Amino acid sequence: MALVERLQETTQVGYWCGEIPLEYIYTYGRAGEAFYRTLIEKEKILGAYCPQCDAVFVPASIFCERCFERIEGNYRELDPVGTVETFTVLYKNLDGTLKERPEVIAMVRIKGAVGGLLHYLREVDPKDVNIGMEVKAVFKPKDQREGGLKDISHFKPL
Amino acid sequence: MLDHEKVLKTATKIRLEDIEAKRVLSYKYKPNLRYAWDNGVALGRYLTELKNGRIIGKRCNSCKRVLVPPRLFCELCWRPTDEWEYVKDTGTILTFVVSHVNWDASRVKPGQRYHTPAVIELDGAGKDQGILHLIDEIEPYDIKIGMRVQAVWRPPEERIGAITDIKYFRVIGG
Repeated sequence: MALVERLQETTQVGYWCGEIPLEYIYTYGRAGEAFYRTLIEKEKILGAYCPQCDAVFVPASIFCERCFERIEGNYRELDPVGTVETFTVLYKNLDGTLKERPEVIAMVRIKGAVGGLLHYLREVDPKDVNIGMEVKAVFKPKDQREGGLKDISHFKPL
Repeated sequence: MLDHEKVLKTATKIRLEDIEAKRVLSYKYKPNLRYAWDNGVALGRYLTELKNGRIIGKRCNSCKRVLVPPRLFCELCWRPTDEWEYVKDTGTILTFVVSHVNWDASRVKPGQRYHTPAVIELDGAGKDQGILHLIDEIEPYDIKIGMRVQAVWRPPEERIGAITDIKYFRVIGG
Protein backbone atom coordinates (compact mmCIF):
# COMPACT_ATOMS: atom_id res chain seq x y z
CA MET A 1 0.00 0.00 0.00
CA ALA A 2 1.49 3.28 -1.09
CA LEU A 3 1.40 6.43 0.95
CA VAL A 4 -1.10 8.66 -0.82
CA GLU A 5 -0.08 12.06 0.49
CA ARG A 6 2.82 13.78 -1.14
CA LEU A 7 4.14 17.28 -1.28
CA GLN A 8 2.96 18.80 -4.55
CA GLU A 9 4.98 22.03 -4.51
CA THR A 10 8.65 22.53 -3.82
CA THR A 11 7.64 25.52 -1.66
CA GLN A 12 6.00 23.06 0.76
CA VAL A 13 9.30 21.40 1.49
CA GLY A 14 10.37 22.22 5.00
CA TYR A 15 13.55 21.37 6.76
CA TRP A 16 15.05 21.67 10.16
CA CYS A 17 18.64 22.84 10.63
CA GLY A 18 20.63 21.88 13.67
CA GLU A 19 24.09 21.38 15.01
CA ILE A 20 25.37 18.71 17.35
CA PRO A 21 27.76 20.49 19.72
CA LEU A 22 30.64 18.13 20.24
CA GLU A 23 34.31 18.74 20.86
CA TYR A 24 37.04 16.81 22.51
CA ILE A 25 40.57 17.01 23.80
CA TYR A 26 42.73 13.97 23.22
CA THR A 27 45.85 13.52 25.28
CA TYR A 28 48.48 11.30 23.71
CA GLY A 29 49.30 9.08 26.63
CA ARG A 30 52.75 8.40 28.05
CA ALA A 31 54.46 7.17 24.88
CA GLY A 32 52.60 9.64 22.69
CA GLU A 33 53.71 12.48 24.92
CA ALA A 34 57.35 11.36 24.56
CA PHE A 35 56.89 10.96 20.81
CA TYR A 36 55.69 14.54 20.31
CA ARG A 37 58.16 16.06 22.79
CA THR A 38 60.96 14.45 20.75
CA LEU A 39 59.40 15.73 17.54
CA ILE A 40 59.24 19.27 18.89
CA GLU A 41 62.62 19.42 20.61
CA LYS A 42 64.89 17.23 18.46
CA GLU A 43 63.18 16.84 15.07
CA LYS A 44 63.47 13.07 15.52
CA ILE A 45 60.90 10.30 15.20
CA LEU A 46 60.55 8.34 18.42
CA GLY A 47 60.12 4.58 18.17
CA ALA A 48 60.00 1.93 20.87
CA TYR A 49 62.27 -1.11 20.71
CA CYS A 50 61.10 -4.57 21.69
CA PRO A 51 64.07 -6.87 22.46
CA GLN A 52 61.95 -10.03 22.09
CA CYS A 53 60.77 -9.12 18.60
CA ASP A 54 63.95 -7.21 17.74
CA ALA A 55 61.95 -4.46 16.12
CA VAL A 56 61.43 -0.75 16.58
CA PHE A 57 57.81 0.34 16.43
CA VAL A 58 56.78 3.78 15.22
CA PRO A 59 55.10 5.70 16.70
CA ALA A 60 56.43 4.81 20.16
CA SER A 61 54.13 2.84 22.42
CA ILE A 62 54.42 1.42 25.92
CA PHE A 63 53.54 -2.12 24.86
CA CYS A 64 54.85 -4.21 22.00
CA GLU A 65 52.05 -4.63 19.48
CA ARG A 66 53.25 -8.13 18.61
CA CYS A 67 54.12 -9.84 21.89
CA PHE A 68 52.53 -7.41 24.37
CA GLU A 69 55.83 -7.07 26.21
CA ARG A 70 56.10 -3.87 28.21
CA ILE A 71 58.58 -1.69 26.29
CA GLU A 72 58.03 1.70 27.87
CA GLY A 73 61.32 3.61 27.97
CA ASN A 74 63.10 1.49 25.35
CA TYR A 75 62.88 4.45 23.07
CA ARG A 76 64.95 4.96 19.94
CA GLU A 77 65.30 8.32 18.24
CA LEU A 78 65.14 7.81 14.50
CA ASP A 79 66.01 10.18 11.69
CA PRO A 80 62.93 11.64 10.02
CA VAL A 81 63.55 9.83 6.76
CA GLY A 82 61.82 6.87 5.21
CA THR A 83 60.32 5.32 2.13
CA VAL A 84 56.87 5.60 0.59
CA GLU A 85 55.04 2.39 1.54
CA THR A 86 51.87 3.39 -0.26
CA PHE A 87 50.22 6.60 -1.36
CA THR A 88 47.06 8.12 -2.77
CA VAL A 89 46.31 11.29 -4.72
CA LEU A 90 43.47 13.47 -3.48
CA TYR A 91 41.49 15.62 -5.87
CA LYS A 92 38.70 16.65 -3.52
CA ASN A 93 38.38 18.31 -0.14
CA LEU A 94 36.50 16.73 2.76
CA ASP A 95 33.34 18.63 1.78
CA GLY A 96 33.47 17.28 -1.76
CA THR A 97 34.68 20.45 -3.47
CA LEU A 98 37.55 20.19 -5.92
CA LYS A 99 41.05 20.96 -4.71
CA GLU A 100 42.95 23.64 -6.59
CA ARG A 101 45.72 21.16 -7.18
CA PRO A 102 45.92 17.45 -6.33
CA GLU A 103 47.45 16.51 -3.01
CA VAL A 104 49.46 13.38 -2.27
CA ILE A 105 49.03 11.48 0.99
CA ALA A 106 51.64 8.85 1.68
CA MET A 107 52.24 6.17 4.26
CA VAL A 108 55.89 6.73 5.07
CA ARG A 109 57.78 3.80 6.55
CA ILE A 110 60.39 5.30 8.84
CA LYS A 111 63.88 3.99 8.19
CA GLY A 112 64.84 1.28 10.66
CA ALA A 113 61.35 0.85 12.05
CA VAL A 114 58.21 -1.18 11.77
CA GLY A 115 55.28 1.07 10.97
CA GLY A 116 55.33 4.64 9.94
CA LEU A 117 53.46 7.87 9.58
CA LEU A 118 50.64 8.97 7.33
CA HIS A 119 51.41 12.41 5.96
CA TYR A 120 51.32 14.84 3.06
CA LEU A 121 53.92 14.42 0.35
CA ARG A 122 54.78 17.74 -1.28
CA GLU A 123 57.41 19.43 -3.42
CA VAL A 124 56.89 16.67 -5.96
CA ASP A 125 54.62 16.18 -8.96
CA PRO A 126 51.96 13.54 -8.13
CA LYS A 127 52.89 11.79 -11.37
CA ASP A 128 56.45 11.30 -10.13
CA VAL A 129 55.53 9.63 -6.84
CA ASN A 130 56.24 5.94 -6.62
CA ILE A 131 56.28 3.24 -3.99
CA GLY A 132 59.73 2.85 -2.48
CA MET A 133 60.59 6.52 -3.03
CA GLU A 134 62.91 7.92 -0.37
CA VAL A 135 61.48 10.89 1.49
CA LYS A 136 62.32 13.13 4.45
CA ALA A 137 60.24 15.18 6.83
CA VAL A 138 60.07 18.97 6.59
CA PHE A 139 59.45 20.46 10.02
CA LYS A 140 57.60 23.60 10.91
CA PRO A 141 59.65 26.35 12.58
CA LYS A 142 60.18 25.40 16.22
CA ASP A 143 58.06 28.22 17.67
CA GLN A 144 55.06 27.02 15.65
CA ARG A 145 55.18 23.43 16.88
CA GLU A 146 52.43 22.62 19.32
CA GLY A 147 52.47 18.87 19.71
CA GLY A 148 50.76 17.20 16.80
CA LEU A 149 51.59 15.40 13.61
CA LYS A 150 51.25 18.74 11.82
CA ASP A 151 54.47 19.86 13.54
CA ILE A 152 55.85 18.05 10.53
CA SER A 153 54.74 20.31 7.71
CA HIS A 154 55.04 17.58 5.10
CA PHE A 155 57.41 15.01 3.60
CA LYS A 156 59.43 15.67 0.48
CA PRO A 157 61.67 13.53 -1.74
CA LEU A 158 65.25 13.15 -0.51
CA MET B 1 34.30 -6.16 42.28
CA LEU B 2 36.34 -3.18 41.12
CA ASP B 3 38.53 -1.73 43.82
CA HIS B 4 38.04 2.00 43.54
CA GLU B 5 41.46 2.77 45.06
CA LYS B 6 43.22 0.47 42.60
CA VAL B 7 41.43 2.03 39.67
CA LEU B 8 42.48 5.48 40.86
CA LYS B 9 46.12 4.39 41.00
CA THR B 10 46.11 3.39 37.33
CA ALA B 11 44.33 6.53 36.18
CA THR B 12 46.42 9.35 34.78
CA LYS B 13 46.03 12.44 36.89
CA ILE B 14 45.74 15.09 34.24
CA ARG B 15 43.77 18.21 34.97
CA LEU B 16 42.39 20.65 32.42
CA GLU B 17 44.86 23.28 33.67
CA ASP B 18 47.74 20.98 32.72
CA ILE B 19 46.42 20.76 29.19
CA GLU B 20 45.70 24.47 28.87
CA ALA B 21 49.18 25.38 30.17
CA LYS B 22 50.63 22.91 27.62
CA ARG B 23 52.33 20.89 30.35
CA VAL B 24 50.58 17.98 28.70
CA LEU B 25 50.34 17.87 24.91
CA SER B 26 46.95 17.30 23.41
CA TYR B 27 44.88 17.45 20.31
CA LYS B 28 41.66 19.44 20.30
CA TYR B 29 39.00 18.76 17.73
CA LYS B 30 35.52 20.00 17.00
CA PRO B 31 33.83 18.05 14.24
CA ASN B 32 31.44 19.91 11.98
CA LEU B 33 28.14 18.27 12.87
CA ARG B 34 25.68 20.63 11.24
CA TYR B 35 22.72 18.95 9.61
CA ALA B 36 19.52 19.71 7.76
CA TRP B 37 16.66 17.33 8.29
CA ASP B 38 13.77 17.03 5.84
CA ASN B 39 10.50 17.51 7.72
CA GLY B 40 8.46 15.43 5.34
CA VAL B 41 4.70 15.63 4.82
CA ALA B 42 3.38 14.87 8.28
CA LEU B 43 5.84 16.72 10.52
CA GLY B 44 5.99 19.53 7.99
CA ARG B 45 2.29 20.19 8.44
CA TYR B 46 2.58 19.74 12.23
CA LEU B 47 5.23 22.47 12.41
CA THR B 48 3.30 24.76 10.05
CA GLU B 49 0.20 24.40 12.21
CA LEU B 50 2.21 25.16 15.34
CA LYS B 51 3.10 28.47 13.73
CA ASN B 52 -0.66 29.09 13.39
CA GLY B 53 -1.11 28.25 17.07
CA ARG B 54 -2.76 24.89 16.51
CA ILE B 55 -1.74 21.31 17.15
CA ILE B 56 -2.63 18.80 14.48
CA GLY B 57 -2.60 15.01 14.53
CA LYS B 58 -3.54 12.27 12.14
CA ARG B 59 -6.18 9.65 12.75
CA CYS B 60 -5.78 5.96 12.08
CA ASN B 61 -9.22 4.53 11.33
CA SER B 62 -8.07 1.05 12.16
CA CYS B 63 -6.90 1.50 15.75
CA LYS B 64 -8.96 4.71 16.22
CA ARG B 65 -5.97 6.60 17.59
CA VAL B 66 -5.07 10.16 16.71
CA LEU B 67 -1.31 10.20 16.29
CA VAL B 68 0.37 13.30 17.72
CA PRO B 69 2.82 14.31 16.30
CA PRO B 70 1.19 13.17 13.04
CA ARG B 71 2.69 10.32 11.06
CA LEU B 72 1.72 9.11 7.61
CA PHE B 73 2.02 5.53 8.73
CA CYS B 74 0.48 3.77 11.73
CA GLU B 75 3.17 1.76 13.43
CA LEU B 76 0.64 -0.52 15.14
CA CYS B 77 -1.69 -1.28 12.21
CA TRP B 78 1.06 -1.18 9.59
CA ARG B 79 -1.04 0.91 7.23
CA PRO B 80 -1.24 4.54 6.05
CA THR B 81 -3.10 6.86 8.39
CA ASP B 82 -6.29 8.68 7.41
CA GLU B 83 -7.78 12.10 8.32
CA TRP B 84 -5.98 15.10 9.68
CA GLU B 85 -7.45 16.17 13.00
CA TYR B 86 -6.79 19.12 15.29
CA VAL B 87 -6.29 18.31 18.94
CA LYS B 88 -6.64 20.68 21.90
CA ASP B 89 -3.70 22.47 23.48
CA THR B 90 -4.77 21.15 26.88
CA GLY B 91 -3.76 17.79 28.24
CA THR B 92 -2.65 15.58 31.10
CA ILE B 93 0.81 14.89 32.49
CA LEU B 94 1.67 11.24 31.82
CA THR B 95 5.12 11.39 33.35
CA PHE B 96 7.69 14.04 34.22
CA VAL B 97 11.12 14.53 35.67
CA VAL B 98 12.75 17.16 37.87
CA SER B 99 16.23 17.60 36.47
CA HIS B 100 19.02 19.17 38.52
CA VAL B 101 21.28 18.99 35.49
CA ASN B 102 21.43 21.38 32.54
CA TRP B 103 21.66 20.41 28.87
CA ASP B 104 25.44 20.73 28.94
CA ALA B 105 25.58 18.35 31.94
CA SER B 106 26.45 21.18 34.36
CA ARG B 107 24.57 21.43 37.65
CA VAL B 108 21.60 23.76 37.99
CA LYS B 109 22.90 26.77 39.93
CA PRO B 110 21.33 27.91 43.22
CA GLY B 111 18.38 30.16 42.47
CA GLN B 112 17.90 28.73 39.00
CA ARG B 113 14.73 26.72 38.45
CA TYR B 114 15.11 22.96 38.00
CA HIS B 115 14.20 21.75 34.53
CA THR B 116 10.87 19.95 34.42
CA PRO B 117 10.27 18.19 31.13
CA ALA B 118 7.13 16.09 30.95
CA VAL B 119 5.27 13.78 28.61
CA ILE B 120 1.84 15.31 27.99
CA GLU B 121 -1.19 13.49 26.59
CA LEU B 122 -3.12 16.12 24.67
CA ASP B 123 -6.93 16.15 24.76
CA GLY B 124 -8.14 14.55 21.57
CA ALA B 125 -5.00 12.51 21.01
CA GLY B 126 -5.04 8.76 21.36
CA LYS B 127 -4.50 7.28 24.79
CA ASP B 128 -0.89 7.20 26.00
CA GLN B 129 0.15 9.32 23.03
CA GLY B 130 2.43 11.87 24.59
CA ILE B 131 4.47 14.79 23.39
CA LEU B 132 7.52 15.90 25.28
CA HIS B 133 7.51 19.46 26.54
CA LEU B 134 8.34 21.62 29.55
CA ILE B 135 6.18 22.44 32.56
CA ASP B 136 6.49 25.86 34.19
CA GLU B 137 4.71 28.30 36.52
CA ILE B 138 4.73 25.67 39.28
CA GLU B 139 7.22 24.58 41.94
CA PRO B 140 9.06 21.61 40.38
CA TYR B 141 8.34 19.24 43.27
CA ASP B 142 4.63 20.18 43.31
CA ILE B 143 4.12 18.56 39.89
CA LYS B 144 2.09 15.36 39.96
CA ILE B 145 1.29 12.76 37.35
CA GLY B 146 -2.29 13.29 36.07
CA MET B 147 -2.26 17.08 36.46
CA ARG B 148 -4.15 19.04 33.82
CA VAL B 149 -2.01 21.40 31.76
CA GLN B 150 -2.42 23.94 28.96
CA ALA B 151 0.05 25.22 26.38
CA VAL B 152 1.45 28.72 26.79
CA TRP B 153 2.10 29.95 23.26
CA ARG B 154 4.55 32.49 22.03
CA PRO B 155 2.96 35.57 20.47
CA PRO B 156 2.18 34.91 16.77
CA GLU B 157 4.95 37.20 15.49
CA GLU B 158 7.58 35.22 17.43
CA ARG B 159 6.53 31.81 16.13
CA ILE B 160 8.82 30.12 13.65
CA GLY B 161 7.15 26.77 13.09
CA ALA B 162 8.87 24.79 15.81
CA ILE B 163 7.82 22.94 18.94
CA THR B 164 9.28 25.88 20.88
CA ASP B 165 6.41 28.00 19.51
CA ILE B 166 4.81 26.61 22.65
CA LYS B 167 6.91 28.12 25.44
CA TYR B 168 5.83 25.61 28.05
CA PHE B 169 2.75 24.04 29.59
CA ARG B 170 1.18 25.48 32.74
CA VAL B 171 -0.98 23.65 35.22
CA ILE B 172 -4.70 24.47 35.06
CA GLY B 173 -7.39 23.60 37.60
CA GLY B 174 -9.88 20.79 37.21
